[in-house]
Amino acid sequence: MSVIPAALAAAAVLAGAGALAGIVLPYRLRIPAVGVLTAGVGVGGGTAGVAALGGSGWAGTFPGVLPLAGAAAAVDALAGLFIAVAGAVVAAVAVYGIGYAAGHGPHGLGSRTAQAVLPPFALTLVLVPVAASVSTFLALWELMALGSLLLVLAEHRERASVRQAGVWYAVMTHLGLVLLLAGLALFAAGAGGETFTALRAGAHTVPPAVRGLVFVLVALAFTSKAGALPLHAWLPRAHPEAPSPVSALMSAAMVNLGIYGLVRTGLDLLGGGPAWWWLGLIAVGGTSAVYGILQAAMASDLKRLLAYSTSENMGLVLIGVGASGLFAAYGDRPLAALALCAALLHVVNHSAFKALLFCAAGSVLRSTGLRDLDRLGGLRSRMPVTAAFFAVAALGAVALPPGNGFISEWLLLQSLIHGLAVPGVAVAVVLPLSVALIALSAGIAAAAFVKALGVGFFARPRSDRAASAEEAPILMLAGMGLLGAACAALALVPGLLGGSLDRAVGATGLPGGGAVSGGGLEVRLTGISAALSPVWVVAALTVALMAAVGLPRLYGRRRRRVNARLWDCGGGAPTPRMAYTATSFAEPLQRVFDDVLAPEQDLDVTPVRESAYLVERVRFQRRVSDRIEHRLYEPVLRALNTAGQSARRLAGGSVHRYLGYGFAGLVFLLLALAVGW
Amino acid sequence: MTGGLFTQLLDLACGAFLLAAVVVLWRRELAAIVRYFALQGVALAALAVLLGSHEARWDLVGVGLGIGVLRAGVLPYLMRRALSALSADGVHSEEVRETQPLVNVAASLLTAALLTLLAYAVARPLTELDPTPATRALPVGLAVVLIGFFVLVTRRRALAQVVGFLLLDNGITATAFLATSGVPLIVELGVSFDVLLAVLVLQILTARMRVAFGTTDIDDLRELHD
Repeated sequence: MSVIPAALAAAAVLAGAGALAGIVLPYRLRIPAVGVLTAGVGVGGGTAGVAALGGSGWAGTFPGVLPLAGAAAAVDALAGLFIAVAGAVVAAVAVYGIGYAAGHGPHGLGSRTAQAVLPPFALTLVLVPVAASVSTFLALWELMALGSLLLVLAEHRERASVRQAGVWYAVMTHLGLVLLLAGLALFAAGAGGETFTALRAGAHTVPPAVRGLVFVLVALAFTSKAGALPLHAWLPRAHPEAPSPVSALMSAAMVNLGIYGLVRTGLDLLGGGPAWWWLGLIAVGGTSAVYGILQAAMASDLKRLLAYSTSENMGLVLIGVGASGLFAAYGDRPLAALALCAALLHVVNHSAFKALLFCAAGSVLRSTGLRDLDRLGGLRSRMPVTAAFFAVAALGAVALPPGNGFISEWLLLQSLIHGLAVPGVAVAVVLPLSVALIALSAGIAAAAFVKALGVGFFARPRSDRAASAEEAPILMLAGMGLLGAACAALALVPGLLGGSLDRAVGATGLPGGGAVSGGGLEVRLTGISAALSPVWVVAALTVALMAAVGLPRLYGRRRRRVNARLWDCGGGAPTPRMAYTATSFAEPLQRVFDDVLAPEQDLDVTPVRESAYLVERVRFQRRVSDRIEHRLYEPVLRALNTAGQSARRLAGGSVHRYLGYGFAGLVFLLLALAVGW
Repeated sequence: MTGGLFTQLLDLACGAFLLAAVVVLWRRELAAIVRYFALQGVALAALAVLLGSHEARWDLVGVGLGIGVLRAGVLPYLMRRALSALSADGVHSEEVRETQPLVNVAASLLTAALLTLLAYAVARPLTELDPTPATRALPVGLAVVLIGFFVLVTRRRALAQVVGFLLLDNGITATAFLATSGVPLIVELGVSFDVLLAVLVLQILTARMRVAFGTTDIDDLRELHD
């Protein structure tokens, strides 16, 4: 028996035991037991994924599991990559979750329902890439959506906004499921089979128009799950309102599966397609990247900021996937492999730093009860370890060296820049544009995370609760430590992943061929003459930093130092209210992007009753709402509401009328039968 | 029993069965409606007994007799009791008549004719499958189902509604007998028990309605809507 089925079976058994433990055990025992079993699910999944990345594969069928079609499973290197990422995130977050839920009381995440749902949800995160037939995939996909929905709703007693977020998430995820169901059913009908093997074999017999429709439907569903525009509206609602470990799981593992589905169907099962598919995908990715990070830069809710940043990073990944498909459509397969490689590496990097960011935000939230950056501040001295972890992860998120996000964005830019050799007017326009978009989003990301770190953790506390914050318990720190170590490893020795990434790319039918190679210390691109050694970059940066910090100190020690009070222009000592808040920090950026963001301002001046010239009170309010959401969703919602209101007239309350509907329906049916026979 | 006699008797029973349903639409007196419903029960029982004796299946005859007891005896008795409770105080003489059906009597009779036509049209392919006397009578069962449903939709009094519901059920039972040459005892037992319980519950509801609203016109129940 090979490693993969054994590890997956162990994960499934542990998830079952975890669900049972969540239901049966009392509160004190429940959380550690469920946490340990969920971590076991993650370890099992991670083992299976790593084995698959190492080059072994597995396929199996289970005729009795699902009615009619049975379940089919297969693991190749591409699935292995996503399984390994999901497993690793689940394991680390489960450890973190024990500490998080323990102090929360038997409500919210510690409740029986939430604890019973957590292990199966973790299992579905690991198992979705294992599915090898349409029905298996859809069943696991839906189970994952339902599990995450229940977990998002865990704190519904505490805040009304949780319920609203739950409704949004439920509607959007099921809209996605409908699109997915339609697309995959169409594909299966055209290809003459519903297993992935049959789809792969029959894809070229499907007429091009149907293939295009299948791709559009499926891509809409998968990009919605990945949080890309225009079906992103659930993400900035559900991620902030879910308990933080759940946010971490959703943002670092679940959205990845949208990318997995897209790569699997678009590149593997459909076997690539015409250029317009991929140009559309690049457009969606580019818009999501810039729009997502702009909204993140404007957000003053810490978890909302992180959620929008997920939108941005998935946008970058979509650019990579789109570029890969585009290059493949023009026949440049080595470059396509490189672009896909960059996209997959960015998925891995994003999972590492985003899980850590959400965990750090979670420990801030747990300790202070605050998500509003405007009221945080000064946490560096009260929560030094959490602050350090947040800084490490933020460094990854801003895509600057020595963060781990830098490597994958560098790879992506390399592939796009060298793609100019590919012929075609559209390519010549789109590629430079996407390079610019990536650069712009990286710049705004720097602003967003400087804001999150600087305003949230440095300066002085701006509220009592921030001032009385306490460091997170040891298990939470341990979970964050695992993720921090992953971030550091990805930043320093990404070359170790080279072979695995090649195999994952090779599983889509593109030639792996060592697009990324090099030992532990170097990333070398074989198609293009480019190489990067992250360790040397880090070393050089460290030396430069030490020089920049150390030399002035050495120089300053020789001078005589006088400690005196800072000249304050006669205004008295500065108070915390004078410090930069998240809103004020973002204000210049918001002015620059005024036309895009269209913020709503509300200025309310109340004069003293005796004189109109003396102002008693000024109220200033500004809200940056999601403009795309307003323009796109509100007309649809209004139309639906109108239709619903007019449909209420059908149900007037008369029993006779209700009976009449049934009678008319029956007679109509019989008439149709009698005439149509 | 010769084939010719069997066919004639079967057609007679089916004719009576359909006619009783039509007469329920025609009459306004609730007491008369219950009486014709009992008559229909007799016709249905005769149908089952005829089919059973023709095929020499005595369990079917037993089922037929049981149906007769329930639908011509017990159910009409229960309804008459509800009716006498309604007319006991004598003040509301309107309560024992279907004064204002939603569709008037002449139109109801025309509709019944159309529904019967529809039933024959729909059942044509079924009878073509195996044209025996029993399957040729199949549309009668369907017609009674439709007429029963029509009574439910157009009659206001709670008791008339109960009769409509029971007509529907009679129609379903007749269709089952005619199409399948005999329903297993256990199935028929279950259905009959359901019907009996439904009538008991509806009888109680009718009494409650009268106590609460002073009338049994179900159009006064409008609190059901969202």
